[in-house]
Amino acid sequence: MKDVLFKKSLLGLLVAAPFFVASCSKDSDPEPGDDNEQITTVRYVLTPTTGGNAVTVEYRDPDGDGAAAPTIGTLTLAPNTTYTGRLTLLDETKTPPENITEEIEDESDEHLFVFTPTGTNVTVTITDRDEKNLPVGLQTRVVTGAANATGTTGSLRVVLRHQPEGKDGTPTPGDTDVDVNFPTVVR
Amino acid sequence: MLFLLPSRLGLLALLWIWLLGGPRAGQAQPACTLSLSGRVIDHESRQALPGATVLLLDTREAVITNVDGYYHFQLCAGVSRLQVSFLGYESETLEVRMAGSVVHDIRLHPVAVALRGAVVRGTRVAEQLPQATGTIAGRDLQQTRGQSLGEALQKISGVTAIQTGPSIFKPLIHGLHSNRVTILNNGVRQEGQQWGQEHGPEIDPFIASRLTVVKGAASVRYGSDAIGGVVLVEPRLLRDSVGTGAELHLVGMSNNGLGAFSGLVEGNMRRLPALSWRVQGTAKRAGTARTPDYVIPNSSFAEYDFSGALGWRKDTYGGEIFFSQFNTKLGILPDSHLGNQSDFDLAVGRGRPLVPQNFSYAIGRPFQQVRHDLLKLSGFVRTGTAGRLTTTLAHQTDVRDEYDRYRPRNDNRARLNRPELSYTNRTTTADLVWEHKPLGKLTGSVGLSGTYQNNRYDGRPFIPFYTNKVGGVFLIERWHSKQWQLEAGLRLDRRDLETRRAIGNSGNFFVATDRFQYTTPAASLGGIFDASRHLTLSATGSLTRRAPAANERFSDGVHNGRFDIGFDLNRPDGVPPLSPETALHAGLTATWHNNPRFNGEVSVYQTYIQKYIYQVPVLPPPLNIRGVVATFLFQQTDAMYQGVDVAGTYTLSPQWQLVGKAAVVRARDQRLNDYLIFTPADRAELSLRHDWHEPTAGRFTRRFAQIGAYGVARQTRIPTEVLDYALPPTGYVLLGAEIGTTVQVGRLPLDVSLAGANLLNQTYRDYLNRFRYFTTEMGRNVTLRLRVPLEFTKKAP
Repeated sequence: MKDVLFKKSLLGLLVAAPFFVASCSKDSDPEPGDDNEQITTVRYVLTPTTGGNAVTVEYRDPDGDGAAAPTIGTLTLAPNTTYTGRLTLLDETKTPPENITEEIEDESDEHLFVFTPTGTNVTVTITDRDEKNLPVGLQTRVVTGAANATGTTGSLRVVLRHQPEGKDGTPTPGDTDVDVNFPTVVR
Repeated sequence: MLFLLPSRLGLLALLWIWLLGGPRAGQAQPACTLSLSGRVIDHESRQALPGATVLLLDTREAVITNVDGYYHFQLCAGVSRLQVSFLGYESETLEVRMAGSVVHDIRLHPVAVALRGAVVRGTRVAEQLPQATGTIAGRDLQQTRGQSLGEALQKISGVTAIQTGPSIFKPLIHGLHSNRVTILNNGVRQEGQQWGQEHGPEIDPFIASRLTVVKGAASVRYGSDAIGGVVLVEPRLLRDSVGTGAELHLVGMSNNGLGAFSGLVEGNMRRLPALSWRVQGTAKRAGTARTPDYVIPNSSFAEYDFSGALGWRKDTYGGEIFFSQFNTKLGILPDSHLGNQSDFDLAVGRGRPLVPQNFSYAIGRPFQQVRHDLLKLSGFVRTGTAGRLTTTLAHQTDVRDEYDRYRPRNDNRARLNRPELSYTNRTTTADLVWEHKPLGKLTGSVGLSGTYQNNRYDGRPFIPFYTNKVGGVFLIERWHSKQWQLEAGLRLDRRDLETRRAIGNSGNFFVATDRFQYTTPAASLGGIFDASRHLTLSATGSLTRRAPAANERFSDGVHNGRFDIGFDLNRPDGVPPLSPETALHAGLTATWHNNPRFNGEVSVYQTYIQKYIYQVPVLPPPLNIRGVVATFLFQQTDAMYQGVDVAGTYTLSPQWQLVGKAAVVRARDQRLNDYLIFTPADRAELSLRHDWHEPTAGRFTRRFAQIGAYGVARQTRIPTEVLDYALPPTGYVLLGAEIGTTVQVGRLPLDVSLAGANLLNQTYRDYLNRFRYFTTEMGRNVTLRLRVPLEFTKKAP
């Protein structure tokens, strides 16, 4: 008798089991990704060594990866002039924006900027060094030559190589954190 | 420990054992493909007993007799113990010495009091399916010990794997994978981040006593994700005879210094014969793999798993509680972790790792760390009149953490050492199946299944938070006659998917919630026809609708230098959201069995998927601050998969056997009239096997040696529209060999084997390896395997 009762209650339990399924915790919502490191903005400020107004150019993608397209400024430099260049990198997805430049300075032995001018008379020389006397690139000297032919624009490509392992002064190790192209003209 | 011996020493030891052991002469014969067949009949009336269970006590493999009472096994040479049982008859245990194909009829004695004691316990057998199926069990499974699940499944013709380096294998059935393949782990649908091509199944293959792949849609029974097929991972049944036993496995590999240890202890109590238990655990460590020319950097991995089961089983009801945990940490090739397209192009141009590494067990960045917990409660009730009711309730937690190549730049963040990508998936599933009692020639089952799933992430977004609720109902009926079995099934699923996406950043942040609801049907029709005692033909046709998954809708992020965008994220105004895909599958299989010389299987199939969801590159790729990043968008097209699988054995003489397999898949994008990317290349395998047989029980039994070649052609059928990073690599042929024996050490029969893969140490790349751009494949690898069965049971007083 007891056995039958037991079986019946077990049967009932078996049938009912799937219906006891319920979520134990309230399903949560995503939160702002404040722990994600991003670089959204590259600012290059060029100050003529002989005095005069600084030239600033910016690559800005304040919403980070995807979504809205970036805004890219044009770099216009005077001919036969020497500038002191300073790069600033920001993460504008954070409020207030996070300054990545300081972190790169702190870990300058793991970073290298590579400057590649094309189609314009601009020479970029890295003037800052890390503790192993390898170039970094946050500070530069930029020398311009003759003006661009009328109607032509060149470019300046700025690449940040993140090289925590094996930085040797060449771009090869590591991977790319920044790769931006500024339209550049000397006139 | 044995597996830590240098491989050469192990090789010598094994050769010595193998060459010196036992008499060499004697009547030889093929092992493991010997046919044991016969008829189970009533001792008095001599009538056939269809549906009787024949269980191999050593491997726990079981079959049921067909309508004419026939059973069939493929066995190794040596002594096999069989247990034959049938309701209302006394169970019979017998030993059969296999020294060639054996036909053995079994007569069962009816018991006066039926329904008591003689009932088959714990030996429920899956019915023969009309779909082509492949199984790995017994010695075949033993030959894969130490490999990951996806790697082991490649033994089945038509099953390949998408590889991510030497350690991650994602099963590919007839060219379909991820969201289109269902994995059933101990009867529970495995849920985690199965959409990812570089996310291997989170299952310890040592838990399995049998791996089965259903090749082709099986959605009515297993749910709408089973368009491509189903992988069934079945642990051994809980022990049903009084006593305590154990099984130990040791595996050592020469190439990457892999050492694996797996042990299982199980018992059944004399005082409480209904109660059985089993505990099991696995530890695996591997160092960096070696190609013929260099070490593959950071390819080390570690895996630690355990499981426990407790069952209470009576003839008419029973229950089981099962828990398992899977833990793995997998190193990823640093060269594959790239910032943008030009990094990628440079790495592909190099074709080999930039920074050489020495052999090491250390696992550095980038790596994946995955944990999967499964808790399962199941029970059944069998009544004489109503049939059998089975219920399964399971809860899974899948935590997948992925660490980038470089720690965060900010020191405070770096100190936290958090993964850059982290997903947590919690899934509760409930299944209720009622198998009704046979109505004349009709058997069948009705089932209800429910899923409640919650997915979240921490760190960088990639797929959204989501809640997925699925309810399904199905009916499968099967009609048996003397030669025919016809099966028809219907299923209806209701899916409710709610996604919650993070939009914007702190200061300007909100959550976008979207809800999608679909009712998707599935239907199938199949037949099995026993044309003769040696030939079975089967056909299947099915329709499945699969609702789009969260990743297909809303993937949004960068992973390994590649940006994935879900369809619904990039949908222009007016375009409807992603809609379910409809798969029409048809398959035909011919199986030759119980023949003295040739046995084998040919299966042809076709799967047409309307509104097939796949990824296409965005050209030109959009610009971001890292420059040009390869960007892939989910799109829909109409796809056609067609192919042939062939597998066969030819017995040349009692001791020599030729085994062959081949598989061909063609996949077309019908809207673009082009090939689909990532389709397995044509492949074939041929091996020659020699088995020794000792007429008297010597110390060394079941000795075998085999040599084989595995060839893969170059994939020439690639899309012209889709730009791959590199052309498919050239084809290759690899040579492999294996020797093995069972050694009697005291009372312990130890299975020892030594297997060599890529024996000629060839340099090659495989089209299905995602890291083929950066590195060549593993070189020569020699694997030593040892299996020790232990029995602690004392003789009854």
